[in-house]
Amino acid sequence: MVAETKPEAGRPARIRRRTGSNAMSVFAKQGILIAFALFIVGFAIFSDRFLSAENLMTVIRQSAIIGVMAIGVTVVVIGGNLDLSVGSMLSFSTVLVVDLHDQMGPGLAILVMLAATLCLGAVNGLLVGYARLNSLIVTLGMLSAIQGLVLIYSGGQNVDIVNQESTWFAIFGRGYVFGIATPIVIFLVFALLVHVLMSSTAFGRRVYAVGGNPTAAVFSGIRRSRVVFTTYLISAFATGCAAVILGSRVMGSQNNVGQGYELLVLAGVILGGTSLLGGSGNVLKTVVGVLILGFIQNGLLLMGFAYYVQWLVTWIVIILAVWLDVAAKRGRLFSPIA
Amino acid sequence: MTPKMKTWIAGTTAMAGIALAGGALAQDDPVTIGITQNNVGVDSYQTTYEQAFVDAAAANPNVETVVLDAGGDVARQIAQIQDLIQQRVDAIIIWPTNGNAVVPAVRQAHQAGIPVVITNSNIAEEGMDFIAAFSGPDNITQGAYSAELMCEALAEEGQDPAEASGQIVQISGQPGYTTAIERQKGFEDRLAEACPGVEIMETQPGDWNREKSQRVMEAFLTKYDTIDGVYSGDDNMGVGALNAAKAAGRADEMAFIGATNFAVGYEAMERGEYYGSIYQSPVDDAEAALQTALDVLAGEDVPKLNYFETPKITQENMTEFSKPVF
Repeated sequence: MVAETKPEAGRPARIRRRTGSNAMSVFAKQGILIAFALFIVGFAIFSDRFLSAENLMTVIRQSAIIGVMAIGVTVVVIGGNLDLSVGSMLSFSTVLVVDLHDQMGPGLAILVMLAATLCLGAVNGLLVGYARLNSLIVTLGMLSAIQGLVLIYSGGQNVDIVNQESTWFAIFGRGYVFGIATPIVIFLVFALLVHVLMSSTAFGRRVYAVGGNPTAAVFSGIRRSRVVFTTYLISAFATGCAAVILGSRVMGSQNNVGQGYELLVLAGVILGGTSLLGGSGNVLKTVVGVLILGFIQNGLLLMGFAYYVQWLVTWIVIILAVWLDVAAKRGRLFSPIA
Repeated sequence: MTPKMKTWIAGTTAMAGIALAGGALAQDDPVTIGITQNNVGVDSYQTTYEQAFVDAAAANPNVETVVLDAGGDVARQIAQIQDLIQQRVDAIIIWPTNGNAVVPAVRQAHQAGIPVVITNSNIAEEGMDFIAAFSGPDNITQGAYSAELMCEALAEEGQDPAEASGQIVQISGQPGYTTAIERQKGFEDRLAEACPGVEIMETQPGDWNREKSQRVMEAFLTKYDTIDGVYSGDDNMGVGALNAAKAAGRADEMAFIGATNFAVGYEAMERGEYYGSIYQSPVDDAEAALQTALDVLAGEDVPKLNYFETPKITQENMTEFSKPVF
């Protein structure tokens, strides 16, 4: 990768760096997996329920909502941008699909919701892709703008699906496909599809190129604006899919149901090793990152830790992940230059 | 794209909250009451409250109102209180965004000779000298009522509820919120008195969020083979817990008790899946606040703490209550 060979090239510490970097890079590359394994072992020692098949399925099912969103955001981040608007976008999409369900039936409700969500993604895409505004500012603004939109739409009221027992909408959040919970199936199938898109198609290569070196990408004839625009559409579509799972699981929605999800989603993406600088990352590793978050929260809960311990540990894990990511690129844990 | 399009435009967004206050023209001798609310629109309760307040004020020809909302922002609420002082309203009703932070602004109003009524959730102890009255639900009592419901639910046929025994879990509201803290305290204290045989195995927050509560309950179901009862800080979270237990096929073995009866909780009671809750109407809340302010202005001897009635609602007596609108 371009980004990995750039820093410190030609510095005198080259020999030391090379000898140190073997162990260092192994640890850095696998550090998250090692930490994950340690957590799993620790949890399994303290709670005999943790490793039960039932609990594992529960955690993956719970992680599916954040997971599907994180897959979409991974594409945006690889393209060199951020998407912080997904939290309130999830609120918007969930409120919309639940509210429309009773008015026009599940099928049409899902289609209308997806169309509306894609429009929001298109706004992000136009502002970041074509108007070239900073993605942090655009999507942070959209985060509060969309929350406002939700409140205007719903008038502050909660929405609920009245007849919960007899709608096929229930399959997305509560049902099973071949004995596997549907959210898990949606999560993994979506991850595989986007992974193929990113690793084996021209579009995927363009996203990596635009994120890695935008100028070179433009000179190579890549239509950068269009690529960035499309990444935001993918992210919005993913959030729409997550909203279907969430709405179906809960059969109702609060206005602020997605509040704070943007940070959990981003944490999953970072844990998966996707660089916030763009140009590198892997959708399947994001799946691992999201599962790590899910297992940590579940494990701490099973062990009976209070919520503030969960916040603290989650934060520590994220910081460690970012640190190892940066250290792997520098070749050392501490660096005199930033 | 041409390279000359490389120009980056950095934009900053500034968010300005502009509160438009309708000035009131004096007719006959109406009183002007200003209200600054916590965060209208964020949930159904607060939205219904505002509507009920506006309706109640409109029904009274002698009342003019200035209705403001702090949007959950402490600084904005303090500014709104100061604006209301400047406008020389006759009384100020405050739904505190933060019980501690508004105290200095409340003192300013007090010093300006404008009576302050706190609504829904009280301010910190040190501010009590500066307010004319508090009007709202008694969350400690609500927690205690829920504890009594839990004892009744877990008592065997013909058994005295005080003799009930069992193992329960608790899903509390957002950590740090007065309502969440008071309900939890009221529940735990009363449960230990009313039926000492019932043990709370674990408490985790559900953050007033149904999906979060569902996740917490899923972990409880994995962790505990026997759960006899679930107490949730409100029905929204209670229904989340019920969803989780139904999905695991274990809903029949436990009793679900909530608080702040929501429409979804009411419906679950109709289906016989939910044992009971506490009926708290935002309409009563709003009307009580307005009435308290009017009583203060009329020079009546108003007690410091005015709690409006929040009765127990169960499958048995639910027909006496109308279904909540939220």
